[in-house]
Amino acid sequence: MSKSIKIALAGNPNSGKTTLFNALTGSEQYVGNWPGVTVEKKDGILSGHKDVVIQDLPGIYSLSPYSIEEKVSRRFLVEEGPDAILNIVDGTNIERNLYFSTQLAELGLPMVMAVNMMDVVKKNGDKIDFEKIAKALRCEVVGISALKNEGGMEAAEKVVEMAKKAVVEKGPGKLPDVPHVFSGSVEHAIAHIEESIQGKVPLRSIRWYAIKVFERDREIIKKLEIGVGEMKHIEEHIRDCEKELGDDAESIITSQRYDFIKRLMDKSLALNEKRKDKATLSDKIDKFVTHRIFALPIFILSLCVMWFLAVAEHGPGTVLTDWANDGFLADGWHLPFTTHECRAEGKYKGMEFEDAQGEFAKQDASKSAWEEAYLEKINEGKSDDDKVEEMPEEIDEKVAATIVAKGVFVEDEETGEPIAKEDNEDEPDLWDVDFAAYKEASEWEEPDPSQFGVWVPGLGALITDALDKAGVSDTVKSLVVDGAWGGVATVLGFVPVIFIVFIFLAFLEDCGYMARVAFIMDRLLRRFGLSGKSFIPMLIGKGCGVPAVMAARAIENERARRMTVILATFVPCGAKTVIIAMFAALFFREQWYVAALMDVIGIAIIILGGIALKKTRFFAGEASSFVLELPAYHMPTVSGVWHHTWNRLKGYVLKAGLIIFPACVVLWFVMHFDWSLNLLADEEIEKSILHDLGSWIAWMFEPLGFGSWQGAAASVSAEIAKEQATATLGLVAANMDGATTGSHIQALFASVSDFPKLAALSFMVFNLFVPPCMVAIAVTFREMGSQKWGWFAVGFQLFVGYVLALSVYRIGVLVAGGGFGIWTALAFALDAFCLWAIFRPGKKVEC
Amino acid sequence: MLKGEVEMNVSSLVVLVVIGIFFALAVWRVAKKGAPCECGGSRKACSRKGGCSCCDCCED
Repeated sequence: MSKSIKIALAGNPNSGKTTLFNALTGSEQYVGNWPGVTVEKKDGILSGHKDVVIQDLPGIYSLSPYSIEEKVSRRFLVEEGPDAILNIVDGTNIERNLYFSTQLAELGLPMVMAVNMMDVVKKNGDKIDFEKIAKALRCEVVGISALKNEGGMEAAEKVVEMAKKAVVEKGPGKLPDVPHVFSGSVEHAIAHIEESIQGKVPLRSIRWYAIKVFERDREIIKKLEIGVGEMKHIEEHIRDCEKELGDDAESIITSQRYDFIKRLMDKSLALNEKRKDKATLSDKIDKFVTHRIFALPIFILSLCVMWFLAVAEHGPGTVLTDWANDGFLADGWHLPFTTHECRAEGKYKGMEFEDAQGEFAKQDASKSAWEEAYLEKINEGKSDDDKVEEMPEEIDEKVAATIVAKGVFVEDEETGEPIAKEDNEDEPDLWDVDFAAYKEASEWEEPDPSQFGVWVPGLGALITDALDKAGVSDTVKSLVVDGAWGGVATVLGFVPVIFIVFIFLAFLEDCGYMARVAFIMDRLLRRFGLSGKSFIPMLIGKGCGVPAVMAARAIENERARRMTVILATFVPCGAKTVIIAMFAALFFREQWYVAALMDVIGIAIIILGGIALKKTRFFAGEASSFVLELPAYHMPTVSGVWHHTWNRLKGYVLKAGLIIFPACVVLWFVMHFDWSLNLLADEEIEKSILHDLGSWIAWMFEPLGFGSWQGAAASVSAEIAKEQATATLGLVAANMDGATTGSHIQALFASVSDFPKLAALSFMVFNLFVPPCMVAIAVTFREMGSQKWGWFAVGFQLFVGYVLALSVYRIGVLVAGGGFGIWTALAFALDAFCLWAIFRPGKKVEC
Repeated sequence: MLKGEVEMNVSSLVVLVVIGIFFALAVWRVAKKGAPCECGGSRKACSRKGGCSCCDCCED
């Protein structure tokens, strides 16, 4: 097997490396237009070249060993040694990008410089002389547009050609032609150092090593094992330069590099005269969007718009979710524009479908109420064993004539759906049902939807029908319909909400606004001694907590990095969005802003939690610097937005099949069997394993307002994957008789609290802000570097989630007139502790 | 509805086997490639190497 050629893709952060990497390799790596997205090297095979491996390195500004990204890139470029370098530079900021390019050129490897964003450069009317840059840096220069997939492959093929040629012609031992960018005395000192270290390093990169020794790079000096006498001699040369130029060695190198680049730019870059000193459209937008006062409200407004579209009543998200939950994934739906009044002869003639459903529900309620009263009457004075539990086929007319039952029918306030009387007895609509009314009610059959328009059966109905036709037993049918399908459908039903959130975020990312958000947050966080660098992982965390925790690697300061890992997952991720969507739909239909509030609470926790942590001796210290280049605003491409959205959505749908499905099957078993593995009837669910497991820990959730076994089971199962909380609630509700899954979840909260909305809010807050799912926790432990810190992170997140849920419920109940109790006192005490932790004087610790 | 012994017939057994196969496939896929995440990648790579597809390569 022939040896593969390794091409390193290197450049500044946010210069388009990953976009080019994806284009060259056909990969679908996550791309973001803020720095720190790539924190580890990624490999991919160059399309059409099986023997060429492209290696995408984290974006860095120099080959200094400060941040983890710089260390990863430097180690790979210097020690592992690729065969060639494809240096991607941002053409709209070429002067700044060339600082890193000069260092890469010193490595002595074949290099092609791909000047990216040439479409923007051309549009701006600027001109770059590639030949002059190529001559000065001793490399090939090619113009490309990674986003538009123009020129990238040509650049890659050129670098492959150079790599192959270098392997054949040069070999690693030949002194390469590298640019000399420093003044005479510095070059003289570097030449002396090169002599001293000859034989210790590969000849091709001897100049790079010599410059690092000149800069007194400790890591390199230690690695080269330079003798004391030799180092003393080298030091003399360095000190002579420092004395002559009046600066320290590292600064001399930096400033002379910039001088070289400035000279090079003077002769190779011609900026459009008309554009000079003229504010661009991006500048004009930024004046408003990054304004000191308006910036934060604009950001919050954008979140509100996103959540309004996703969960507001009659909004696209809600309409589509209702269709998915009640129609496509459940019983079925009428094709739009085909609905009509019932034309068939019978009781429903002339009615709309919804009216017919309502009428049937009312008649059914009359029938149930009368049957209940009848059974009560005929069972009077009988022992439990003799009692009749089901309606006999023949009714005793004499007894029946004496019965006048109370019909009860309540419409759900939020959804308008009928609720069985046991679920809501607050203000029931009562009427008399005598024997004649019962007989009349018994004649009503469930309305046939196909008589009201073109009816498309839903997947749930199709599955149920298929199982019925196959003669599958009730037990297995329940496993499939209520267990496996029920749980998966509950999660999939929220795909429209997730889709809207993801597409909105993708648009904001791709147009360049999210980079501004990092800038805005940096300005805000810096006031509290935090860095905007910590906010980048949190932006990534809106999609998924795992890469968010990973992205904290870009933070060089260990304390700040640990703090970021702890705080990153407080931003509700895609999976948590499902919990928000479900509770917004069931409890806060008219208060869509509750959903947006969850994001705002997440950001507030990050800021306040960060302030509190910074005041402890473990996290005290100055905020690390944050370099952020704001990309120009541009209209995102449809394919780009779709790519971002689909990649995230795909993971969500896959998770429903791979995680939620098996979890629901297991949950169905523990919900339908007792400890002796006897199959249970629906009404015997209180003997089930799940009931017992939930009941054992339900006391922990009692103070939070959802201390039922169902609430406990849902909260604990959410650690598998956050959306499992909704699937578990759906599964538990599927076991209950009556109207809809949604109304039973509402009833569930109503059964454990006098303030079901507050209990639901508390459940939502708890599940959003306690530790994330198991995988994210595992990554947190690894990134924290020790068990101790891992447990600290989980403990902190658990404390925050619990205190927040306790405060929301107990103080909410107090405000709603529910009285003051011991838990209210505890909530106030814990809140006071949190406020003390935030506002107390901080520790001053040297970092 | 459900009570006592599980009623079984051929159709029910077939459905149970199908569910069992899907269950086993899902568990096998997660064990082999890891749980998917909302960035479209696989989390097995995270636990093995330190990142999922948005922050590390899971293709190599």
